[in-house]
Amino acid sequence: MCLQNFPCQEVERHNKPEVEFKTSKELLLNPILICRNEAEKCLIESSINSLRISIKVKQADELENILAKKFLRFLSMRAESFQVLRRKPVQGYDISFLITNFHCEEMFKHKLIDFVVAFMEDIDKEISELKLSVNTRGRLVATEFLRQFT
Amino acid sequence: MADDEDNASSVLDADTFIETESPEVIIARIEGKSRQVERLLRIPQYAEALETALMDAPTQTRDERCKSANWILVHRVLMATKDVDGLLMGLNPELHDILMKYLYRGLATGDRITCDLCLRLHERLFDMAGIGCIMRAISDTQNLV
Repeated sequence: MCLQNFPCQEVERHNKPEVEFKTSKELLLNPILICRNEAEKCLIESSINSLRISIKVKQADELENILAKKFLRFLSMRAESFQVLRRKPVQGYDISFLITNFHCEEMFKHKLIDFVVAFMEDIDKEISELKLSVNTRGRLVATEFLRQFT
Repeated sequence: MADDEDNASSVLDADTFIETESPEVIIARIEGKSRQVERLLRIPQYAEALETALMDAPTQTRDERCKSANWILVHRVLMATKDVDGLLMGLNPELHDILMKYLYRGLATGDRITCDLCLRLHERLFDMAGIGCIMRAISDTQNLV
């Protein structure tokens, strides 16, 4: 991941993440799409001063669909505190990271990469845990409620 | 200063890309290659088949049909191979970059079997060719496979 400062070519004194605006072809690298299977994929787009990683998380059924959507929306809403998170995921994906050269200057590059990788590893676990707890709570509540009728 | 800008834009501008061969010629060549590859797969000689498929890849053209035709050919060879390590051992180092670009194309398809195979091959090729191979596959915007 080699990102360097690159002030905007069109507008004076502006410094924009080129991967978001895609104004000049020479500043962009080929986007890489890695699909594990039909449901999970990861898009990595890079440019001279910024890098955008978009992830589509595995969602096996309706419940996981809702849980993933709510959980990732919760995280995206708090993107300010995460710094490298994007407020809205890219079209077709569940969550997106935007890493700029300024982030690389403030934070260790290998730590940033570790963060993204750990996120990808943990997200599946988190959603499975959430699903389990929803099912357990539902079962408990149903048992208690229906007890009064027996 | 103005000259530098003009030179820079002509080198990087995709619209001024000059195609040296017409798409029909390239497709005819790919069809010839596919007959050869089928013959080699029947023997079976997977390493030679892969080399034939990767050699003269249509990187210098913008025609999508040529690129798809060659990709189908490479895909055929990769799916037919059973021994992944042996296949990569005998591969010409010049073809590593082209193979890496095809692997990324395969990973983008989303088809589970193709992706599994491409991920395994990617790991082996990365061990052999190193990180430079991946960097060239990502940064080469002129020779797209």
